[in-house]
Amino acid sequence: MRRKLCLAPLVLLAYCSFSYSDLTFEQSANAAANGYNWVMTNILPDYTGLIVSGLVYQYTTVKDTADDMVVTVQNENLAGDGYIFRSVDDWSGLPGNSINKVIPIPAVLGSAFGNGSISWSGRGNVIDANVVYSYQYDLCFDPQADPTCPDYVKPIPELPVIVVSDPLQDEFIRAEMEKKAALEDEEEEAERLKKKKERKGKKRLEILLGSINSTLLSAQAQAQADLLLAMNAGIEVYYTSIPGGRYDETVSYADTQLPPNVNARRVSFAQQLLHEKMIKSQYSNLISQP
Amino acid sequence: MINKTLLALGAAICALPAYAENAQITGTVESKCTIITEITGVYGNPTTNKLSTLPADGGVIPIVRYDVVSANHYKAKITTPIAFSSSPPLDDVVDWTGTSAVTEVSVAEMSAYETNKVIYNNVTEYTLTLAGTTWFKAESTALFGYDKSFPSGTYNAIVSAECIAL
Repeated sequence: MRRKLCLAPLVLLAYCSFSYSDLTFEQSANAAANGYNWVMTNILPDYTGLIVSGLVYQYTTVKDTADDMVVTVQNENLAGDGYIFRSVDDWSGLPGNSINKVIPIPAVLGSAFGNGSISWSGRGNVIDANVVYSYQYDLCFDPQADPTCPDYVKPIPELPVIVVSDPLQDEFIRAEMEKKAALEDEEEEAERLKKKKERKGKKRLEILLGSINSTLLSAQAQAQADLLLAMNAGIEVYYTSIPGGRYDETVSYADTQLPPNVNARRVSFAQQLLHEKMIKSQYSNLISQP
Repeated sequence: MINKTLLALGAAICALPAYAENAQITGTVESKCTIITEITGVYGNPTTNKLSTLPADGGVIPIVRYDVVSANHYKAKITTPIAFSSSPPLDDVVDWTGTSAVTEVSVAEMSAYETNKVIYNNVTEYTLTLAGTTWFKAESTALFGYDKSFPSGTYNAIVSAECIAL
């Protein structure tokens, strides 16, 4: 029970923050300052969810009492047909005077307000017109408009779209590659044809040589065969079979001590002596020269 | 026996003293006509013997606003001053002139108030035949003696604006 009571203020606090709203109330400048027809986008600020709650208009009629005159103040309705408000003042048979009129508007979105105007019919004139709109807006109507707004959600940055260009898809590269491939094909075909031609030539040459050799060989072989046949020993060789089996090593050398070769040592020593003598002889020639 | 008892009971009831209670009824009537001074007047002193609220004379014309909720139930009565409410001692007569007029209306037909106004002495009366707001001005001019200079000091006068129920 105590825990529930402790949670109550928190729930209340959460409810209060949910109902948070910061309305700003303002009034426009004189819409009729630059003429009796005005564009509302130039009069009302561009806030999302702006609501017009009323307007006050003033003007003075200059006329003779007996004259008829009807003045109309109005705003077109962009959200539908007709007018959002239309106030008609009939001054017929009345002396001219200033009018100061408050028009309550039951919370209409500013975006629904079309062009405004003051127009009149009859004899007379309207001077010193003043039309002021009262409006309200909430800067946090769109919570994303300001990071300080409640319910603001930090936006996820949009990932940049990287355009990957495949060089193989490039028109010029593809054309070049196709051209190269065609050239390679042509070269390959030419190579193939060349090899084929060479092979054909070689084959023809082989056939030619083969035919000549075979003719020559066959003539020699025929003569040899005839000779062998005459000796009666040739043809049987072809039918003699070679006996197989294992041929073991039959020759072997026994290990013995080689005696020192004294003669060889002597020759070697003699050669060394001769060599040294030759070397020294070069120097002796140098010393002997003046 | 029963009848005797009932008779005795009836006699006892009749013998009780009679009680009475007075229930109170209260009610408040809010005025359906309010008057607000929108602009306080100022006397200008264009010449030594003249005090005037006209802008041309350096003065400011006072403006009073009548807000009427119910039509045809009230009358506006505006009285321009004929004496200073406070001033330095004056040793001569003051010649007063004053006018009242409708300066602004919230309904065009109220413009007829000006045509239909009734003037007597220094009083102007308007019958408020329409619900809405009407602005009245009250001009006042004071001339001292015969070309005589006003003594220096502060001069105050009062414009009386009343809303009289019809």
